[in-house]
Amino acid sequence: MAEFIPLYMFAAVCLLLMLGYPVAFSLSGVALAFAAGGMVTGHFDMAFLHALPNRIYGTIINTTLIAVPLFVFMGVMLEKSKLAEDLLGNMSRLCGTLRGGLGISVILVGMLLAASTGIVGATVVTMGLMSLPSMLKQGYSPSLATGTICATGTLGQIIPPSIVLVLLGDILSTAYQQAQLKMGIFSPETVSIGDLFIAAIVPGLLLVLLYILYVYGYALLWPERAPRESRRIRAGELLPVLGPLLPPVLLIIAVLGSILSGAATPTEAAGVGAAGAMVLALAKRQLDFRRLREVMTSTTEVTSMVFMILIGAAVFSLVFRGFGGEELVASLFERIPGGVFGATLVVMLVIFFLGFILDFIEITFVVVPIVAPVLMAMGVDPVWLGIMIAVNLQTSFLTPPFGFALFYLRGVAPATVLTRDIYRGVLPFIAIQLALLAALALWPGLITWLPNLILH
Amino acid sequence: MPSPTLAVERLIRALEAVTRLAGAIAIGLTLLLILATCAVVVMRYFLATGSIALQESMSYMHGAIFMLGAAWTLRVGGHVRVDVFYRGASPRAQAWIDVAGGLLFLLPLCALIFWLSWDYVLSSWAIREKSNEGSGLPYVYLLKTLLLIMPATLMVQGVAEILKNLLFATGRGGAHVGEKVEPL
Repeated sequence: MAEFIPLYMFAAVCLLLMLGYPVAFSLSGVALAFAAGGMVTGHFDMAFLHALPNRIYGTIINTTLIAVPLFVFMGVMLEKSKLAEDLLGNMSRLCGTLRGGLGISVILVGMLLAASTGIVGATVVTMGLMSLPSMLKQGYSPSLATGTICATGTLGQIIPPSIVLVLLGDILSTAYQQAQLKMGIFSPETVSIGDLFIAAIVPGLLLVLLYILYVYGYALLWPERAPRESRRIRAGELLPVLGPLLPPVLLIIAVLGSILSGAATPTEAAGVGAAGAMVLALAKRQLDFRRLREVMTSTTEVTSMVFMILIGAAVFSLVFRGFGGEELVASLFERIPGGVFGATLVVMLVIFFLGFILDFIEITFVVVPIVAPVLMAMGVDPVWLGIMIAVNLQTSFLTPPFGFALFYLRGVAPATVLTRDIYRGVLPFIAIQLALLAALALWPGLITWLPNLILH
Repeated sequence: MPSPTLAVERLIRALEAVTRLAGAIAIGLTLLLILATCAVVVMRYFLATGSIALQESMSYMHGAIFMLGAAWTLRVGGHVRVDVFYRGASPRAQAWIDVAGGLLFLLPLCALIFWLSWDYVLSSWAIREKSNEGSGLPYVYLLKTLLLIMPATLMVQGVAEILKNLLFATGRGGAHVGEKVEPL
């Protein structure tokens, strides 16, 4: 029975997390309780935990992870300086007269916002506060409006430069090296964050395109549920509308472009992006000492939150390994019928359901290091796996009744919008995402084509 | 003679002063980190030079931000929770969950990290460990000391949270987690 202790530990964590104590500490607390029990009964060797200080120190001196506080700063600054609100106002004036125009501009602005903040909660809440009232006022059906906002909010995971892709890239590259060493390859290939960013572009844009097509089609079929604005825009109005759109879009493109072209490391690009966001806010007269302090404070809080989960997850995974968890997972995978396909499918299902209780960061730090080396040793491409996990989790966060995005939107939606409306609204978007997931599984080239083209 | 509640509240304030100091340093470093990154970029792309010391200082700042900021983040309720049930629970039930979690999860974790890191940090101090790079920063032992400061400050704030929640849960007033904290 002792060989199943890692599974019990996993189940215990999932249960105790539901109590609501901060995830970082619940993860490590449960693991430590198991470790203590294991030491008393002789199933666990304390030596495994002695790797912890070096793990934490390794996180401190990991130069790639410096991109996290910098990207967080850039996102919070763009958000707090109300650049996104102006964007939405301008876009909807531009597209408002099209069929489904307001919905489409919400998707496009959401995409930009997602690219800049990369945090699902922040994007959904901001979009919900900004665009839900105006969509409802223009006569959009509550379910279409809320579905569009939730789905757009989850784009933050996949549209680069996303923080989750930075973290996932770091974990995947370690896992990939482990897998190759186990296979006897001693000059292992590497995966970089840039690879993941490039690979995310085609699936991300495809998703945005599908969302837009859906909203447009919906507006064609039921014009009364997605009415357009009656006032037409004149050519003379175009410039003042388009002008303010440019700077933030250029900033994001510059940050992305310098990473993708290999001119700058993600950390350098993020640092310049953060400084650029400050300049934009200053130019808009939205930056004073107080706001700067606010942005710095929330940058510290988000960064600490992320890295404490990383440390909590490190404790968990050391104990998990000490109980023989890795061998257990590998042997379980061998028993799954269907070889690589079966194992990948099972991992995807597990991650989908874990997405109901855990956020992307926790899954990246806890689950991916356990399953990824095994899958990669079976021949799964690391970049493909990373993007599949990202799209999968995005779907999970949208799925009623536990999806994170739904909670966030419920929190800011007026009481006149029924929870049922939100659930009904996201269903078509879930279908779109599942279709994309299936397409990515059938044609891995959708993910690997662009990185191969650019990097080789 | 002052009431015990007052004495506890005074203790909480004293503990939180430590958190505040560590948090203020972390928060200030975010801006410095951006400036340092931009300086590295300017030097590399426009002046075609580089400074290993400057690049290493970025790691020092990055590490200090989250190691010193963790306690502050606990104070403002910034560590994510799975709040499917927590959110719907009564404020008193929430306070009890936080007391139990603090005692059973947070304090043991801090004690463990502190205890495991003690020798690790001390042996670095003993040789005044320097960077592996010749022109790097000679303060690796200070950087490693963060491994003791983080669990210590987190424990200080953890005790403060437990006391606050105990006061609240037992009806002796005191602010609950998620209180409005004045910005630093």
